[in-house]
Amino acid sequence: MKILVIEDNIEMLQDIKSFLQEEGNICEIAPSYKAAQDKIGIFPYDILVVDITLPDGNGLDIIKAVKKENIDAGIVIISAKNAVGDKVLGLEIGADDYLTKPFYLAELNARIKAIYRRKVYNGSKEIHFNEIKIKPDSYEVFIHNHLLNLTKKEFDIIHFFVVNRHRLLTKEAIAEHLWGDHIEMADSYKFIYTHMANLRKKIAQKGGKDYIQSIYSVGYKFTDRE
Amino acid sequence: MNLVKKTNTNYLIFLALLFPIMVIVDYFLIQYIVNSEVEEILLHEQQRITFHLDEEGILPTSNYLFHTVPMDESLEHLPEFRDTLLYEGYANKQIPYRTYTFSSSIDSQPVKITLKHVLLEINELIWLLFLTTSLITFLLVLGLYFINQKVYTRAWQPFFENLSKLKNYDVTQKDPVYLDGSQIKEFEELNTVITTLIDQVKKDFQNLKEFNENISHEIQTPLAIIRNKVVLLLESKNLDENELKNLEALYQQINKLSKIGKSLILISRIENQEFKRLERVDVHTIIANILSNMEEIINFKNLKVSTELQTVSIECDHILADILFTNLIKNAVQHNKDGGTLHILLTEGKFEITNTGEVSDIATEKLFQRFQKGSSAKESLGLGLAITQKICEIYGFQLDYVRNEALHTFSLFFNSDTIT
Repeated sequence: MKILVIEDNIEMLQDIKSFLQEEGNICEIAPSYKAAQDKIGIFPYDILVVDITLPDGNGLDIIKAVKKENIDAGIVIISAKNAVGDKVLGLEIGADDYLTKPFYLAELNARIKAIYRRKVYNGSKEIHFNEIKIKPDSYEVFIHNHLLNLTKKEFDIIHFFVVNRHRLLTKEAIAEHLWGDHIEMADSYKFIYTHMANLRKKIAQKGGKDYIQSIYSVGYKFTDRE
Repeated sequence: MNLVKKTNTNYLIFLALLFPIMVIVDYFLIQYIVNSEVEEILLHEQQRITFHLDEEGILPTSNYLFHTVPMDESLEHLPEFRDTLLYEGYANKQIPYRTYTFSSSIDSQPVKITLKHVLLEINELIWLLFLTTSLITFLLVLGLYFINQKVYTRAWQPFFENLSKLKNYDVTQKDPVYLDGSQIKEFEELNTVITTLIDQVKKDFQNLKEFNENISHEIQTPLAIIRNKVVLLLESKNLDENELKNLEALYQQINKLSKIGKSLILISRIENQEFKRLERVDVHTIIANILSNMEEIINFKNLKVSTELQTVSIECDHILADILFTNLIKNAVQHNKDGGTLHILLTEGKFEITNTGEVSDIATEKLFQRFQKGSSAKESLGLGLAITQKICEIYGFQLDYVRNEALHTFSLFFNSDTIT
């Protein structure tokens, strides 16, 4: 998919760009309001990642303009402000999602993919990874077409993994994905650790390969690469 | 003691001291005046009698004549005034008189003529004085009291209005304070000083707030970049174990910093009253949602959860309500021991959560302060309860904590205004 990232911090911009490009997307960048306006006017994008505070304008105005011109692009707001007003307003004027800085790139990736799936496939698209098949809208995971019996959180974990395949997912990123911002506690890491073991067992029972690699105590990687 | 009482008391003390002085001074003054009047009358009478004796040689009739006796050879200095008491049969008592004795001659016979005039009785005089002075004093007190009262209520009116405005003043409020003007110079001066002071405090507070917010905000983007870079480093394959360990520690500290920043932003946003929406929030639903969201962790810790939830709705911001109850329940889960219990009670006016845990050594009054942590949770920031407390302040909820050995109870009393 084609993504435009509008963000004034060049370093941040490069990080997002390279992360999304590695996911196989075409990713373009706009470091200012003006540059964003120019690009949106010329090229079609599937997804816009918009920072609200830009040196020469407000990201919310870009969203308004996009919606006014009926450009069919998914929109994710990224903001350091974490202001409820901004969030509500952003979603009201047509943004699809809102992320507060600092966010995990894996989380941004997951959100972008979810929006894309909803927009292009009406959410009905299955996600495949070798023998694994995920139906996000019905929260089902199949191994060799056998339904896995998973808890809600186990589903969330494997879904998050498959969306961010080949990526290092830290415990913190997983915890935030599972519970959001406010339920962060030491127990959640222990919980993730135990459930990773359960997940491995359940996948192995249905004849699936073990794709979950522990990266020391930092986190996990879901990959079939060596 | 308020000002009017203080003033009135001072007036009363002054009048109480003045009262006997007034009586004594008046007594002598009046006595002197009466005596000299009487003497004048007697002298006038003496002149009249002497005139008639010289012209006609007979003693004229006189109301003041006391007696006439032949002159003896006593060594009296004549004429002379005297005070005497004379018995009056009609009154059946001694009455004070002023007498004037002078020498003259009737029919060539030298005589001593004495004139008399009745005087005020001393007792009567003192009584009279006491009565009049008391009356004056009483009227003075009454007058002063009412004048004071009037002055107090009228002239001090702007002062009291301003006082109540200042009592309600909160440095976080957005609207400026307008103090009532007054015609009294001192009050005007006070107003000027207070207004300047408030402006200064407000400015300082604003600066401090902006500084906090800026710091919290501005660190987030650099932190995000650092974090992404660290993840990139962690992903690279050729790191030895030592390097990995360092990177991991770095990563965790970045996360901690970022969370502190986010929590402080949240606190300052609660203080700024950014969560202004008032909506009907079903507390029982919120609690059920939180419990279901934490279900796995609760099961994971083998906690036995019991709930008694009544249907309760309060009027507040949904996000804040969610944070409030999440923090309290999370706290009870986090500080619980493996296989412990957790009891949640929700009634019309109260939410109560009791959990087993370690015997914490943190003082109860310090519990709600920022960056205070119990011994068990090294990972926690110690900001959760500070946030909880802030939310309670906003809505006027009362949050109590009781520790009974290893049993911890938080009780939240809803403000009756918010219950719907």
